Amino acid sequence: MSSPAEVAPPLPLPPPLDEIERGGGTWLHAEVVKTWAFAHRNIIMARRNVFFVFELTFWPGVAMLSHGLLTRFLDLTPQMTAFILVGTVALSAVQVCQLDVAYAVLFDIWSKSMKHQFLTPIGIRHLAVGAWVVGVGRGIIVWGLMAVIGTWAFAFDFLGAGVASVAVFLLGCFLTSLMVGLLVCTLVLLFGTRAESSAWASVNLIMMFAGIYYPVSILPAWAATVSAAIPLTYFLDAFRVGYGFPSQFGYPILTGLALSVVYVALAHWALAAAITRARRTGLLLKLSE
Amino acid sequence: MLAVEAHDLAKTFHSGWLGRRHTTALQGASLAVPRGAIFGLLGPNGAGKTTLLSILATLLLPDRGYARILGLDVVTDAMAVRQRLNMASGNASFVWSLRPAEVLTFYGRLYGLGGRALALRVDALIDLCELREHRRTEYNELSTGLKQRLALAKALLNDPEVLFLDEPTLGLDPDVSIRLREQVARLRRERGTTIILTTHYMREADLLCDEIAFIKGGRILAQAPPDVLKRQIRIGEVIALRLDPAAPAGLAELPGVLEVRLRGPELDCTVDVAEKRLPELLRWLHDQGVVIRDCQVREPELEEVFVELAR
Repeated sequence: MSSPAEVAPPLPLPPPLDEIERGGGTWLHAEVVKTWAFAHRNIIMARRNVFFVFELTFWPGVAMLSHGLLTRFLDLTPQMTAFILVGTVALSAVQVCQLDVAYAVLFDIWSKSMKHQFLTPIGIRHLAVGAWVVGVGRGIIVWGLMAVIGTWAFAFDFLGAGVASVAVFLLGCFLTSLMVGLLVCTLVLLFGTRAESSAWASVNLIMMFAGIYYPVSILPAWAATVSAAIPLTYFLDAFRVGYGFPSQFGYPILTGLALSVVYVALAHWALAAAITRARRTGLLLKLSE
Repeated sequence: MLAVEAHDLAKTFHSGWLGRRHTTALQGASLAVPRGAIFGLLGPNGAGKTTLLSILATLLLPDRGYARILGLDVVTDAMAVRQRLNMASGNASFVWSLRPAEVLTFYGRLYGLGGRALALRVDALIDLCELREHRRTEYNELSTGLKQRLALAKALLNDPEVLFLDEPTLGLDPDVSIRLREQVARLRRERGTTIILTTHYMREADLLCDEIAFIKGGRILAQAPPDVLKRQIRIGEVIALRLDPAAPAGLAELPGVLEVRLRGPELDCTVDVAEKRLPELLRWLHDQGVVIRDCQVREPELEEVFVELAR
């Protein structure tokens, strides 16, 4: 029996990692695990914080109801109502999804823990894809909620353009979100907390040029040029064809997809450059103080 | 083999509009740390300690010079370096809404650890750093001491070969500091981890470190084992006396006496060579009619070396 004065032996250190474990196992295993880290963190945060519930239900619900009522007040035809509500859904889905991508960096900005993330052997793909996957999930929930409200309150058929069209439209929305989310991360790593508001502002600006509630043909020439460079313009156009509107572009889906791929690659490169700059200027450390 | 090797590192920060304000943090810092050593980096505030550590940890790019960790360049081989090092800071912060196990799981995954292996490792670290009772507490509700223990646990996730500890006991209660130091010593003893430590606490550096570098104004002023430094700096030895009555005037004028510090009946007399000066000092005090109640000769504290170098 041990005497009261006897000190408990110290707890053992965790077992050492072997070379395979130290490298994260196989390449694929390490890629999946690192990506899942960001996805899981976003899921935990979404479950635990009340403002995430607002993002997911309150604002999309309010947007659908207020815009639907506006179409009633203006006595719009079902076809024109569809035009407006497609824009409403697009804005909400893109907003929610791109915020998730931006949170991959914003959570660390708000908690001043930025340096720990960039001290680990991760790439931009891990944080971007991990956070984006959760954003896609939340975007689909938003779409579902708005579909229910739209059908129930305004007899708007969200599947009217066909399931395949809905899928392509949502894919376009989510690719735009990935691009915008990476852009927000880039701005934050270039300008620090001053650029935080871009997480909420940037998507509205893009939607304005993409023809959220109107055809881009009504925009002035210079703005139409900007519209033509935004992938979502083409996805909105293609989806609205399903509701009987004429397409303003040739091959809108292909053009939208091609532009998305180019912009996502550019956004990835821009974020990599912003991280390198933040390492050079010391901003990475300042954001952790 | 060297665990850390830095040569002529320089870093200047630019701020303000168009980067018009310049702050030079490092100007040609070099150091070499052998594998398995506990290495202390000491210096006053703004000396460049954290900047140097951040460059070595791949968080900051140097303007000039190079650094290698375990033979890998911190700029060109940064990804491989990150896999093999980790860092804990005294002022570390993690995502506020996450609980300790969630914080560890998140960062563990960023090192590619997953599944049961990660779960066991997180569990072991929670126990090692005495966080079991606080498993369900969100980070922002943890005390400073618990946050620092969590920072240490996070720093051990990837079983790092090189560990940077930036002021790890800053603001901790003495008993927590002692336990944390014990863990640091164990890491080296049981794992052979190379540890680079910055601290303001001289006693901590004296207790833990095999070697110490003093940094000031972005330059390494001296690098050696603590005992060697104390001798190298030649700030003398201290003869501590308790006298009755208190020391008379004129003591400071005696040959070989560098400094006299009086605290009531107690006296710290710094001399060039204690062996030579002690008999002379005792004789002089006796001649003055002073009774010597106690007498000790001691080496200078590391703090005194630091003060001397920081001048």
